[in-house]
Amino acid sequence: MATNKEIAGSAAGATVIGPTITINGKLSGDEDLTVRGRVEGEVTLTKTLFLEVSGVVKANVSVKNAVISGVVVGNIRATESVELTKEGRMVGDIAAPRVILVDGASFRGRIEMGDASVSRAAGDRVGRPARVSARPSAPPRPPPPPRAEARGMANSKSTVTPILSKMESKSPPVPPALAGAGKRKVVVRKRER
Amino acid sequence: MAQSEQVGIIGKGIVIKGNLTGGGDLVIEGRVEGQIALKNHLTIESTGNVQADIQADELTINGEASGNIDASSKVAINASAKVAGDIKAPRVVIEDGAVFNGSIEMEVKLPEDV
Amino acid sequence: MIEREAEHMANTVIGSSIVIDGEISGEEDLVVQGTVKGKISLKESLFVEGSGIVEADIQTQNVEVAGKVTGNINASQKVELKSDCRVVGDIRAPRILIADGASFKGNVDMDAKGR
Repeated sequence: MATNKEIAGSAAGATVIGPTITINGKLSGDEDLTVRGRVEGEVTLTKTLFLEVSGVVKANVSVKNAVISGVVVGNIRATESVELTKEGRMVGDIAAPRVILVDGASFRGRIEMGDASVSRAAGDRVGRPARVSARPSAPPRPPPPPRAEARGMANSKSTVTPILSKMESKSPPVPPALAGAGKRKVVVRKRER
Repeated sequence: MAQSEQVGIIGKGIVIKGNLTGGGDLVIEGRVEGQIALKNHLTIESTGNVQADIQADELTINGEASGNIDASSKVAINASAKVAGDIKAPRVVIEDGAVFNGSIEMEVKLPEDV
Repeated sequence: MIEREAEHMANTVIGSSIVIDGEISGEEDLVVQGTVKGKISLKESLFVEGSGIVEADIQTQNVEVAGKVTGNINASQKVELKSDCRVVGDIRAPRILIADGASFKGNVDMDAKGR
């Protein structure tokens, strides 16, 4: 009997909990999980939880994405997104950078998206999480480059003249030698004083 | 659409501090701080910024809103919106891209065995 | 039984990267390719595939093991240990089939009181 150890193809890495199955305990894994039955306890996945209409999850859930069409009693924490479809019902808190409540979903609890800079940067509709590899492309705020470290220089914006005038007494016409700190406006051969 | 109702518009450059009440629809493109109580539809446009407790029949948010919201029919938080506060309404929709922090209270019918 | 790519037709498949620590119960077939610790109680068949690791007491109708099981197995119809499996525990079932190459340590009771 040829029994494949690895079920190549669809079944590999696609866990499905059928409608008459109840799992009471902790479930964790590195693959997508589709729940049509009942899971109570804790669910931790590095991928996506698909809770179908017949599914019930009474647990704290920690996943990358969640698409909820069934019933959740418990908190969901997702690193990417949580979507409650129009059959989804949830009582509990959601913490995720993107949260979508479709018209018809019912929800009672808190939603914390933080400042969700991810969703802002995404802009376009990303759709189902299964296809999401929309990594947050634009980081929120580029840190202001430190300037003006050199020689007690005030900052790039203010006039560089005072110090430069001192430097210039060396009389090199070449500015870069002076502005060792990598200032933008390198120089200004200003009036010498 | 009730033609007899007028639509009020608070333009972009306007700032209102105080209470707003009324029976018609209202579109806010500017800034309102205080309290809002409307019998109909309130729309906060993408340039709008409302720091107020809001009571309305229906609410459509494309801009910023901060405060408690009590709607008798529906609250729609669209993609460009940024909302903070507690929402109580029978229907709440959050679009992909919206930012929301707060609580939502809708009626949730749970099966008996949950 | 028809052997297809999916090896067994079942609605419930616990994939290979999944670890469950708790109790599983249900009224349908269950395929385990991952790890289950605790208890399994089914009205139908349990298939522990090659990558499956079960550290649990099992109570079902049929059990077919190609992976590892540590725990007592109680089946109302049949238990089949395929080659390359490793089972440690007591088996109670009216019918038992142990294939050449299977590794088994425990007691066997075919007195078949079943469930």
